[in-house]
Amino acid sequence: MKLFPGLLLIFVLSASIAAAQNWAHDSRGILLAIARAPIMDRDRANPYEGQRNAILAGKKLFLQHCAECHGADARGRGKSANLHMSDVQDATPGELEWLLRNGNLTRRMPSWSGLPEQRRWQIVAYIKSLR
Amino acid sequence: MFGTQRAGNDYLASTMEFEYGVTAWWTSEFYLDGQSTFNDSTIFTGFRFENRFRPLMREHWINPVIYLEYENTSDADKTMIEVVGTDNEADYAPPNSVLRQTISREMEGKLILSSDWRGWNISENFITEKNLGHEPWEFGYAIGASRPLRLAATPRLCNFCRENFLAGAEVYGGLGTSKAFSLANTSHYVAAIVGWQIPSGATFRLSPGWGLNGNSHNFILRWGLSYEIDGFGHRVRSWFR
Repeated sequence: MKLFPGLLLIFVLSASIAAAQNWAHDSRGILLAIARAPIMDRDRANPYEGQRNAILAGKKLFLQHCAECHGADARGRGKSANLHMSDVQDATPGELEWLLRNGNLTRRMPSWSGLPEQRRWQIVAYIKSLR
Repeated sequence: MFGTQRAGNDYLASTMEFEYGVTAWWTSEFYLDGQSTFNDSTIFTGFRFENRFRPLMREHWINPVIYLEYENTSDADKTMIEVVGTDNEADYAPPNSVLRQTISREMEGKLILSSDWRGWNISENFITEKNLGHEPWEFGYAIGASRPLRLAATPRLCNFCRENFLAGAEVYGGLGTSKAFSLANTSHYVAAIVGWQIPSGATFRLSPGWGLNGNSHNFILRWGLSYEIDGFGHRVRSWFR
């Protein structure tokens, strides 16, 4: 049966092309992604803003889910965005929550919609505390 | 998983899955299947190669995922990753020496519709499978819902916090074939789901299920352990620098 080797070849070629097309989620990429957030999401307030426990919980979640790409210090790793930079810190909490929920799939950032909304807001509280 | 078997021997079946995120919208998995039937034998039953694609780049009320799989398994495969067509308990009753003689090469497609609502994840799967040996198309379904026991995280690192556990339920079964699309002669199950996400990165899942009609196994128990290797792609690329 020659179907499986054929499928494998198609997979390898497609995966190589898809991986090559993955732009880095660098500063320009994250700026473009944030700019796509709908107005109604931009204005949403973080229910945990400034709450110490939420920031600590957000840090824990960040280390579990985000540090792999963004680094434990959130300064970016490889081509991943530095979350201390002004493009991120100047974004509204609603924009950041929208970005976490939707991801930036064409630039390799996954969607975190599987995390409960409360946890996404806790991560946003932590990211904003980096300023 | 463990399955009871009337008119035959109970069994254990296992799947080893390797999953890789090719991109943020495409994951690829390779499975190796095997089973051990009590008072019979332990055998390798085949492999599966699947890919999952997210066609929409943004979150919506319902988020589709397209799933395509090629499988090369013998009839002795008892992993029951999905139930389709007229799959039923009697198919598993013959001894392994008989079942393993028939090898099936099949293509499978799934449309997975997933929604997240107030901490609940609700998922509906519509399954179609085609044996490449001139068999009719087979259909199946799976519907499930699960939710973490606590939505917000606590500041401390803990193994047994409620936030690390999820609970839910699912129903799944066959819908017949393209020649006889019906619930007749099909099997159906209802199952509970419990998940435990350990902060070190491992996730343990347990799912006891019960057959809903005479064509189904009386009881099946699924369990699984998964572990994510951080930065796997980076590590592999670094070997070639």
